[in-house]
Amino acid sequence: MATLTYIVLVPMTYLAVGVFAAGTLWRLAGLLRRPRLGLPLAVYPTQKPGWAYALADALLLPTVLRHNPVLWVALALFHLGLLALVLGHLELVADIPPLQAVPHAIFLGKGAVGLAMLLCLLYFFSRRLVSPTKDLSVPEDYLLLALFFLTVLFGSQMDWARNWYDYSTMSVNDYRAYLWSLVTLRPSIASVDGTGHTFMLVAHVLCADLLLMAFPFTKLMHAIFTFALNRIRRG
Amino acid sequence: MSAMEFAKEIDLRNLPCPMPVVKISKGIKEVAVGQVVKAVTTDPGALTDFPAWAKTSGHQILETEEAGGEVSFFIKRLK
Amino acid sequence: MEASVRDELLRLFGSKLTREMVLNLETCSRCGLCTPACHAYASLSQPRYAPAYRAEVVRRVYKRHFTAQGRLLPALGEAKPLTDAALEELREAAYSCTGCRRCMVCCPFGVDTQQILSIAKLLLVGAQAEPEILAMLADVSIAKGENIDALKAGFLEGVKRLEAKVVERWRVQAGATPIPTEVEGADMLYVALAGAHSIIPAAAVFNAAGENWSLSFFEAVNFGAFVGDPAKTRRILDRIVHEARRLGVKEVCICECGTAVRVAKQLSGGQPFRVVSLTEVHARYLREGRIRVKKLPGSFTYHDPCQIARNGGVYDEPRLILGSIVEDFREMSPDPRYNWCCGGGGGLVAMGEETLDFRMRSSRVKADQMRESGADVVVTACENCHTQLDNINTHYGLGKDVKFLSSLLAEALTDR
Repeated sequence: MATLTYIVLVPMTYLAVGVFAAGTLWRLAGLLRRPRLGLPLAVYPTQKPGWAYALADALLLPTVLRHNPVLWVALALFHLGLLALVLGHLELVADIPPLQAVPHAIFLGKGAVGLAMLLCLLYFFSRRLVSPTKDLSVPEDYLLLALFFLTVLFGSQMDWARNWYDYSTMSVNDYRAYLWSLVTLRPSIASVDGTGHTFMLVAHVLCADLLLMAFPFTKLMHAIFTFALNRIRRG
Repeated sequence: MSAMEFAKEIDLRNLPCPMPVVKISKGIKEVAVGQVVKAVTTDPGALTDFPAWAKTSGHQILETEEAGGEVSFFIKRLK
Repeated sequence: MEASVRDELLRLFGSKLTREMVLNLETCSRCGLCTPACHAYASLSQPRYAPAYRAEVVRRVYKRHFTAQGRLLPALGEAKPLTDAALEELREAAYSCTGCRRCMVCCPFGVDTQQILSIAKLLLVGAQAEPEILAMLADVSIAKGENIDALKAGFLEGVKRLEAKVVERWRVQAGATPIPTEVEGADMLYVALAGAHSIIPAAAVFNAAGENWSLSFFEAVNFGAFVGDPAKTRRILDRIVHEARRLGVKEVCICECGTAVRVAKQLSGGQPFRVVSLTEVHARYLREGRIRVKKLPGSFTYHDPCQIARNGGVYDEPRLILGSIVEDFREMSPDPRYNWCCGGGGGLVAMGEETLDFRMRSSRVKADQMRESGADVVVTACENCHTQLDNINTHYGLGKDVKFLSSLLAEALTDR
């Protein structure tokens, strides 16, 4: 069990970050190597400046708001939640003073962010159980939803324990010691091993690693491609 | 009136694009090889389209005849 | 499918994989927002007509042959090898899409289903499985270009006969040469269709405006684009480009044919002339006070042809024209950007009876829109749309008139 814990928390995490970074760069390089079609492919009427509207389209999803407001709320909650959690993890690695301009506890929302994301994920999943979204869905769609769900569930469990049921077997400093050891390439799992939450952490990191590695090879690349494609649509 | 004999007459007057060519290419298949179709049209474009069509599809325009603003093509099915 | 055939088809597939195309293929998250945006799905409620579903048909083959995921874990994305069965699916997907791009207006990313399906069309051309009628029509256009010197005389005779009709109805405006051809140094080359209806009213308006114009020998429509064959598309367009350069015109005006307008505007490249649609030219005449018009009685609505409006940006011009010639104008869609496609684009109308049943079933939402407009006359500026709207009018018993915008403007011309 100790070996397994170590494998997931150290070598697999390094591997995941490596696959994520190299894979994403490889995919982007592959895209840039392709010739451009170079024809006007805009949808009219176009508005200037095109890049500003494209950016707004990619970040604010106005087409979703117009055609499916419920989905828009869920997508907004999910993606903002994701952003909050990414920032939370960065603060877990080290203090980032500019982020603390407005003082807050590491991980915003006292556990509510994770809960909201889980509800959003359940909603996304339920949409895929009915036609016509069901007919469009492929195994990749369900697998990614499941991985996100498990990652957030196990991660939130650690957050909820500290916030909701006063079970602080691991503190922010314990997580930070582990993450900092990874960043400084002197990996040590001593601070997070053998506690009541080690299983949660291993499960969380395992799922997160799988997601990171899936990123370059799945539709998750929409996070990057959306900017370019929206730019083409805006002319 | 023309003395030209034909097995079938097709009315291609005032049709939308590209129906004259679509209908003549279908119509010619409704007569036997060697028989003649008479196609009547009012469209100036047909005067270039039909010879071009005959060339690509391998049929023969035997005669073109004008009367009262209408043009009749007599086309022999060759294959 | 033989291995050599498949290799050749995959080479064709690869040739379509530009940066834009890869983005279209890789970005979809299958959220399904495009589903109700398609008139075919909205009318028939069948998932296979959902834009993302059609795109997935192409995407599955793409994944299997061109991506790491599809090669290593094909089950994950339901990747499929290119087989005869896949080709049949591609055919169904490609030729039930009119290329209206309404789905793009609803997509969060801007995935271009028409572009994706252009891969399907190219593969079908490569496998010689494209619709015969469209291929035949494209070949006729090309043959006409190659033999134009021999065919000119017949065309000119036909044009002479039409002149009488122009003079009969628009005596004052007609001038000395009601339908000029081969005018070197003309300001404008007008490219019409085969039918007299696309020449006579246009000639009346050009003459009324005192335009220095010349009628092209060629028809504007590009069947190469309908069939999805880039080489033929180019050759058909080049006939017009060469004619325009030979005469030294400043403008090439494309008649009321959506595909012709879009193809000519997009693919002409850097030329000494600019490409405009007839609708834009007519609006210009009105703005500059070059023609005088009267108001026509009746209630009118306007159907925006997708290739001219959503995919070409011509929204204001038809409204300016109608605003000048009718008292009672009613918008068909609250927002013209979301106007339903007529259901006849992408070569479907050109395939005639073969596609009539599907065209009528898939345009139920269009029929509703026409009915709800409350107007007596449905006006449009595209040959295909006109034919399809006319078919819908008959099929659904709407009891309306369907008219070309240019014909209506010619009707409204007055010499006072």
